[in-house]
Amino acid sequence: MSETAVKLIGFFDSPFAHRAEVALRLKGVPYELVLEKDLGNKSELLLKHNPIHKKVPVLLHGDKAICESLLIVEYVDEAFDGPPLLPADPFDRADARFWARFLDDKCSTPFWLALWTEGEAQKGFAKEIQESLKLLEAQLKGKRFFGGDDLGFLDIAACGFAHWLSVFEEVAGVTLVTPQEFPDLCRWGKEYTSHEIVKQCLPDRATLLAHFSAKKDYFVSTVKSMAPN
Amino acid sequence: MASEDVRCVDFWCNEFGMRARIALREKRVGFEFVEEDLRVRERSDLVRRMNPVHRSIPILIHDGRPVCGSMNIVEYVDEAWRGETRLLPADSVERAHARFWADFVDNKVYPAQTRFFTGRGEAKAAALAELLAHLRQLESVLGDKAFFGGDEFGFLDVAFVPFSAMFYGYEQHGGVSMEAECPRLMRWVRRCEERESVRSVLPSGVDMYDIHKEFYGIE
Repeated sequence: MSETAVKLIGFFDSPFAHRAEVALRLKGVPYELVLEKDLGNKSELLLKHNPIHKKVPVLLHGDKAICESLLIVEYVDEAFDGPPLLPADPFDRADARFWARFLDDKCSTPFWLALWTEGEAQKGFAKEIQESLKLLEAQLKGKRFFGGDDLGFLDIAACGFAHWLSVFEEVAGVTLVTPQEFPDLCRWGKEYTSHEIVKQCLPDRATLLAHFSAKKDYFVSTVKSMAPN
Repeated sequence: MASEDVRCVDFWCNEFGMRARIALREKRVGFEFVEEDLRVRERSDLVRRMNPVHRSIPILIHDGRPVCGSMNIVEYVDEAWRGETRLLPADSVERAHARFWADFVDNKVYPAQTRFFTGRGEAKAAALAELLAHLRQLESVLGDKAFFGGDEFGFLDVAFVPFSAMFYGYEQHGGVSMEAECPRLMRWVRRCEERESVRSVLPSGVDMYDIHKEFYGIE
């Protein structure tokens, strides 16, 4: 099965698609990257293989489709040889999964709201995301990566806070993370983005900046319909 | 492993906690059920200490170390006590699919269920329609199989079967018949209820509906 063709449906600006790509590259799995051109007009291929959520990334391994970025990373870890992305010990695995889910379930919404809202509401969301990122930062515990000496599952899951964070801060004109307040997280972010394998599939920062700047009004409009839980 | 200390902090009517307790019973792991009363607003010291991030239950405490997140606990239980029973399928693709549909229950079924019980009028009707659509989606995933896991009760069965304890509530609150809406799902529910793990953990539909009416302020 591992000799069968692997395709990844992604989009250039997506940290979720990046998670899947970096997992494939870390495991040394050859793959064909199929980039969506416009997420406002999704391809037949994407809609066929992810009818429930209609989102990137989708991994196609032969005739099987795997959706959801963290599930793709776990699948790649299990289905292919190469350095393990998740630790061996069940407790450490549960811990890595817990923090990865924490990022998606607890951080992504306040992060988004802290970027695009204003006034007192914005201050509240900023405080919330900063508290959450402090909890994440504490998981580094002096290690080079969350995974230890080399990248692991949680590093891959947290990629958005390594590369995309500062781009969004710049577009929004908001500062959420500084090296003074988050020395370990910022150090980790540099380690992550300069990793030789990560670099191969990280979107160019200037391109991201231009792309997101052009979408700023749209981003601001999205928060109007978002009710925080 | 008789000297092991295994505790599960949970409340009897918590659908997410039932997953942890069913998994432990399926794997024949002895544990202490430490009850956390969700009707009390403040969480206990134990919960705040063991799950400082979310302050939620269930929490599995194994030799003093906490594991949080219901499906996280199920995976942990499956991995830490290997034994003969395996909850996650052996095949990697099937594992990914089982996890995907467990997430679907969390991200689609549960919020629709909440909106159904908290909504009124049109909002309630829309939530019920959505909830039933999600259940039919799961029914199609089940297909003709005995369990979501195939011939064997597995990960996705554990993830979803606690929600069957709410089906009576769906019927009462929505004026629907689950037998009419999702007959294959109902056959699966009855098959699951033959298992000691499910029978001993799932409360009755009446008890579930009564306490949820209390939580949601429904007359």
